[in-house]
Amino acid sequence: MVAVSTVTPLEQDVLLNMNKIEIGHGSGGKLTRDLIENIFLKYLKSDELKPLEDAASINLDHNHKAAVTTDSYVIRPLFFPGGNIGKLSVCGTVNDLVVSGAVPKYLTVGFIIEEGFLMKDLEEIVRSISETAESAGVKIVTGDTKVVEKNKGDGIYINTTGIGEIVKPMDLKNVSAGDKVIITGTIGDHGTAVAIAREEFNIDAAVESDCAALNGMLEPLFDIAGVKWMRDPTRGGVATVLVELSEATGLGVLISEEDMPVREDVRFIQDMLGYDPLYLANEGKAIIITSAESSDRVLEMLKGHPLGKDAALIGNITADFKGLRLKTIIGGERVLDMLEEDTLPRIC
Amino acid sequence: MNRSKDIIRHIKSLVPKDKQVRIMNVCGSHEHTIAFSGMRSLMPENLEIIPGPGCPVCVCPESDIINAIELSKRDDVILVTYGDMLRVPSVKGSIRADGKNYKMISSPFEAIEIAKDNPDKRIVFFSIGFETTTAPTAAIIEMGVPENLSILSSHRLTPTIMEILVKDTELGIDGFIAPGHVSAIVGANAWNVFSEKYRIPTVVAGFEAENLLLGIAEILKQLKEGKPATGNVYAGVVKAEGNVQAQKIMDKFFEVADVNWRGIGNIPGSGLELRVEYSKKDTKKVFGLAEVKESKIPGCICGNIILGKAYPNACKLFKKVCTPRTPKGPCMVSMEGSCNIWFKAG
Ligand code: SF4
Repeated sequence: MVAVSTVTPLEQDVLLNMNKIEIGHGSGGKLTRDLIENIFLKYLKSDELKPLEDAASINLDHNHKAAVTTDSYVIRPLFFPGGNIGKLSVCGTVNDLVVSGAVPKYLTVGFIIEEGFLMKDLEEIVRSISETAESAGVKIVTGDTKVVEKNKGDGIYINTTGIGEIVKPMDLKNVSAGDKVIITGTIGDHGTAVAIAREEFNIDAAVESDCAALNGMLEPLFDIAGVKWMRDPTRGGVATVLVELSEATGLGVLISEEDMPVREDVRFIQDMLGYDPLYLANEGKAIIITSAESSDRVLEMLKGHPLGKDAALIGNITADFKGLRLKTIIGGERVLDMLEEDTLPRIC
Repeated sequence: MNRSKDIIRHIKSLVPKDKQVRIMNVCGSHEHTIAFSGMRSLMPENLEIIPGPGCPVCVCPESDIINAIELSKRDDVILVTYGDMLRVPSVKGSIRADGKNYKMISSPFEAIEIAKDNPDKRIVFFSIGFETTTAPTAAIIEMGVPENLSILSSHRLTPTIMEILVKDTELGIDGFIAPGHVSAIVGANAWNVFSEKYRIPTVVAGFEAENLLLGIAEILKQLKEGKPATGNVYAGVVKAEGNVQAQKIMDKFFEVADVNWRGIGNIPGSGLELRVEYSKKDTKKVFGLAEVKESKIPGCICGNIILGKAYPNACKLFKKVCTPRTPKGPCMVSMEGSCNIWFKAG
């Protein structure tokens, strides 16, 4: 018998099956992970899914592995400085493939459109998809269109699935103490641009999203043996990726506030809004874990690419502690955790 | 970076070896910088930096919140207030969850726009905060607010609560970091009473970690020399006399009143109500609002946290049941609340 009196209201909710999906379940943070663990992994159990990487690795034959990834885009607003939902839906999926060590090859695109959506906006979005795919060197090979009744959608949602050829398998198991953490550029630009584009904040500033396909910059790094792991810090930002890395490896990550590239205007706006750029979404950045010996070479190659000119070494992997810690500008240290919920929902 | 390190070294050399030193900050933004810079981890062990009453949202009486919720349920009313106020819990819920007609604003000027856009509604501006937000509210009254707008004033005075705290010998405050924004309005001179009457060093500081460190060093230096004074390491922004114009209009429309602080109780002379001449603008009078008795939030120790008597992690609910997503007490709601700051700064 369960002694009912000891059940907290929270547990009662669970017992009564009253839990509901909240906006935070889509944040990429702690709630998303709870959802994945408690519902999805409970029923969906393939070995390919289990590592929960950005892209799954599947065997085609003995010599060839493919990376497959899928992502849905529910961003608000649909058009923002530096991009739109179409460009984002290509870049996001291309980036998920390339950070998995794959050369992105093919994309599929699915549209869910709300009745009444302007044809000219759709055309603009599709033109962006085409331009972005072409410059990223990927082909759109199939698609799907559904329309829902007015007020049953939010303008347009896009899903893209990407397939690439794995040339450099990335495995977290290779990450070890002493490795370096590199970021390919300034952080928090996308989250800030979208926040500004939402009129609720009433801010006047010109921050563009960093939305970009990274395969051109990252593929050359596949040749460097010391490059061990990559991830694009989208929802939940740099902090969330590194907390996950720490949890998966059992190692600690120490990053430096002073070395973190943040645009002046982004820092200013985020101070005002009370958000931390470390938790804000990026759509054109990658975190790279590399051996100490290779870190100079990686930085040099990144800086030679227009998208990587602000690349910086931001931290170390260590066995001294577990979790993610930030060394602050004044030399203090504090623990960074996963965010419970997203401060800015529907960012991608 | 090096300058901060130098100041920290200096702080270490100034701290007395044999006794505990307790410095209080009274500003949510100060506490934010202190927590997020990991400043406490760099201080000598016998130097405590205590977060004090820096969160106006946290001390806003439950009575005002309940009245605001009820007003928003009237069809002829639109309640407007700052974002954090929408989420503060009360025994009757929060404005956002349980109110009906409400709008979030980030400046009092938006209240005027809303009043003009809705001439057939009665706009209630639930105006809360310390001197920093009182000044702009007074400014809109001075400019002339539309007939259909009234003000539910829940303004509080920083110097008054600090004087209560300084008299509390159990708390034993050795120095104050005076709030930067409030000081810009009231002026550095407003803190003279602390060094003159109570011999407590009080130093105005800005919001960068380095500036706060300078402020702490200045307090320690005064303590060491036995020469308490009003210091100002934020002189670029804060003048000795403050913003005289703002002080004038605040005084024109508001008078000092004995008011309740949530979780603490009534404190004589610690709040501002509209003067009787402006009763027509005073929501409490216009709608004949009655005071609602405060209910206790089980387990929440916000009151003690605001008074510097406990740190957030002393609360049994902190991080376990009470989180920014499911705030049980007001200190977890606002970005200026110590519980919220400590939760996020890890
Ligand atoms: S953690 Fe929550 S319940 Fe505890 S004192 Fe803070 S606000 Fe109140």
